[in-house]
Amino acid sequence: MVFSSLTFLFFFLPLALLLYYSCPKRMKNIVLLAVSLFFYAWGEPIYIFLMIFSAGIDYVHGLIIHKNRMSRPSLANIALLSSMVVNIAILSFFKYADFLVENVNLLFGTAIMPLDLPLPIGISFYTFQTMSYSIDIYRGKVEPQKNPLTLALYVTLFPQLIAGPIVRYETIAKELSNRRFQLDQFAEGVRFFIVGLGKKVLIANSIGGLWFTIQGQELSDLSMLTVWLGIIAFSFQIYFDFSGYSDMAIGLGKMFGFNFPVNFNYPYISKSVTEFWRRWHITLGSWFRDYVYFPLGGSRNGTWRTIRNLLIVWGITGLWHGASWNFVLWGLYFGFLIGIEKLGLLKLLEKMHPFFQHAYLLVIILFGWVLFVFDDLHKGVAYIKVMVGATTNKLYDMQALYFLYTHGVLLVIAVIASTPLLKHLKGKIKRAFPASFQRKAVELLSIGCLIILLVVSTAYLVNGSYNPFLYFRF
Amino acid sequence: MSFMKVMNRILIGLFAVFIGGISILHPLTKDIYFSESENRVLAQMPKFTWKQLASGNFTKEFESYVSDQFIKKGFWTGTKSVVEKAVGKRENNGVYFGKDGYLFERFEKPGEQLNSNVDYMNRFSGKIKGANTFLMLVPTSIEMYPEKLPRFAYTESEKYWMDVIQQLLNPSTTWLNAYNPLWEAKDEPIYFRTDHHWTTHGAFIAYQNAANAMGFQAFMKEDFTIETVSKNFFGTYDAKANDFTVKADKIEMYVPKFDVSYRVEFNDDTQVMDSLYAHDFLQKRDQYSFFLNGNHGKVVINSSVKNGRKLLVVKDSYAHALVPFLANHYEEIHMIDLRYYHEKLDNYIEKETISDVLFLYNIATFSEDPNLIWLNQ
Repeated sequence: MVFSSLTFLFFFLPLALLLYYSCPKRMKNIVLLAVSLFFYAWGEPIYIFLMIFSAGIDYVHGLIIHKNRMSRPSLANIALLSSMVVNIAILSFFKYADFLVENVNLLFGTAIMPLDLPLPIGISFYTFQTMSYSIDIYRGKVEPQKNPLTLALYVTLFPQLIAGPIVRYETIAKELSNRRFQLDQFAEGVRFFIVGLGKKVLIANSIGGLWFTIQGQELSDLSMLTVWLGIIAFSFQIYFDFSGYSDMAIGLGKMFGFNFPVNFNYPYISKSVTEFWRRWHITLGSWFRDYVYFPLGGSRNGTWRTIRNLLIVWGITGLWHGASWNFVLWGLYFGFLIGIEKLGLLKLLEKMHPFFQHAYLLVIILFGWVLFVFDDLHKGVAYIKVMVGATTNKLYDMQALYFLYTHGVLLVIAVIASTPLLKHLKGKIKRAFPASFQRKAVELLSIGCLIILLVVSTAYLVNGSYNPFLYFRF
Repeated sequence: MSFMKVMNRILIGLFAVFIGGISILHPLTKDIYFSESENRVLAQMPKFTWKQLASGNFTKEFESYVSDQFIKKGFWTGTKSVVEKAVGKRENNGVYFGKDGYLFERFEKPGEQLNSNVDYMNRFSGKIKGANTFLMLVPTSIEMYPEKLPRFAYTESEKYWMDVIQQLLNPSTTWLNAYNPLWEAKDEPIYFRTDHHWTTHGAFIAYQNAANAMGFQAFMKEDFTIETVSKNFFGTYDAKANDFTVKADKIEMYVPKFDVSYRVEFNDDTQVMDSLYAHDFLQKRDQYSFFLNGNHGKVVINSSVKNGRKLLVVKDSYAHALVPFLANHYEEIHMIDLRYYHEKLDNYIEKETISDVLFLYNIATFSEDPNLIWLNQ
């Protein structure tokens, strides 16, 4: 099930909240586990067993690692290794087996049949969570969970299950065993959820429609302006879709008493690639930093080692986004740029006018999305050729003007919503009108806006034409 | 209690009432079987079986059930369309919101199918002997009213592609020009504003112009009494556009003042009517089916005209508004819709001693219909 659906909003969520808040305290974890399993089984009736299996494996490994950490380190090492192998094997089997088969066939001219298994939704998210659990126990950062049902709850917790954020066990360990209903937290959750829903349904789906129209046409018929508009539309679509999902997840987490980490922090206002990746999909970046980049030695062993480590980490980061070469290339592209920035470009950039820094980042991101969005590298390259004017396509045409005319307002809204402008504005208004009745009016107004957002989002869902789920490959 | 606590309570209360209220109202509202406004059967509550659940079909069907039967659908549809217009949207599902209440479907650049279709027709007309062949391609409304389109709205030129077809056409087939007479009459209501068809009046103009080439003397407007049979027609463009500001179209019927009668057979006598019009459809969404009872594979019209002339019309639904005029000049008219009729037509022409063959399509259907292949089998 996805959050941005009528079934979730008007059947699953009210029922889940009702069950959860009407049951006695000692039953809450069981109810939430049952509800989460139901949520996953709704879209993946068979793969639910895979997830339960995965949780069971990690439960056992966690206990073994913890027991032997001090007394028999070699056994703890083996248990950690075994945990990693099982997790990575499951992920690889479902996500990368066909990719491997395809490449082996291509390389050696063999004709091995691909497995054609559908990818279990969210598998990349929950395997990364369970791996962090085993590693953190090994590192002595957390105690293992004694209650298998509580660990199962951590793995299956529905708000963050299918599209992140990647929540580490240590982040919510306390909340898993002990949490209280707090009115303010619940209200904050409602705010997060509605804003996330609006981002996904109103902005991402609408602007995504523009990209859908443009990419569906013959490239030779498009003007240069149109292809730029197309990739700009996709940039907004993926940002508002992904960060909208994260916001909804954070909001739902709060409604059930959990505090998940922030996953997006206005990435498009960054001034360098390095900064961008500190603001984009934060939980994934920090996962790779803490569990891959630092263990490899990070940037402490000289330039060449650093570059090697960057390429490894970014190659895998790319591959994490989908089993296809274009994702690997997309990851390496960022690894390369971050390397160059480390070598001195960053210092150079900082001396320039902020305008150039922003322009530099945005252009890099846009070309990056071209690599990301086309599976077929030839198509990606052909698209870039039109973008840079290396073809005979027109500079602009009637269609491009029409797209600008009909999507201009939406683009302006998307630009504003990509920046913290509204947040700052609200703070400013609060400070400018310190009188209590004025503050009350501002607060009431913001509640009114949220309700309107919720009603309009519902209207868009009822007549939903274009409502894709973008992470089926993650 | 602090002020923020009160505010938070209000917010939580409103949220709960909204999602909870709808979830309670949904099962209490009676499900609808057929939606007149969308012209389709709505999804019903799926039957639960473990097998359906394991395959994932149950949950999929349940989701379509929820969205199809959602309460107050009209309200939500209206809300969405108002918001979309406000942020600048000027089309929905490829249908533009034009000026003066017109809706227009974009004419997309034709692909290979267009060339194939001309080729199928040429080969077919080369095969049949002893019958005259005619082609009438009718432009759609978007071609006639570029000034009513939204700013910068793009569409492929129909004129251009009609010229291409005329060039490719086998010379033995007579080209019946509908474009110029319709263009000259564009200030009159020749197209529906909310539907993809032309009006009776538009068809009448094309009929008068075709008379000479087809070899008969057309009747004049004065020979008919014009009756308005519907004032509440919302057509297919309306269904696609969901634009709440458009007004209903009206449908006219040209009743001959002269003496004539018809017998209309559908699909080899499975249904017979003594009228060219099916009034029942005027009570439904699909009111254009008033003309000749909608789409059928084969329709044969026997008229009281006794001149021995027999016409075969290979067509799309644009023919339904025009054929009633032709029926006053032919003893028999055989209408074939290749989407539903797949038998050998050259044998049919011989067997029924057809004297004239008319291909009648609007340019949009003709450029993408994959069924003309049935002409050559």
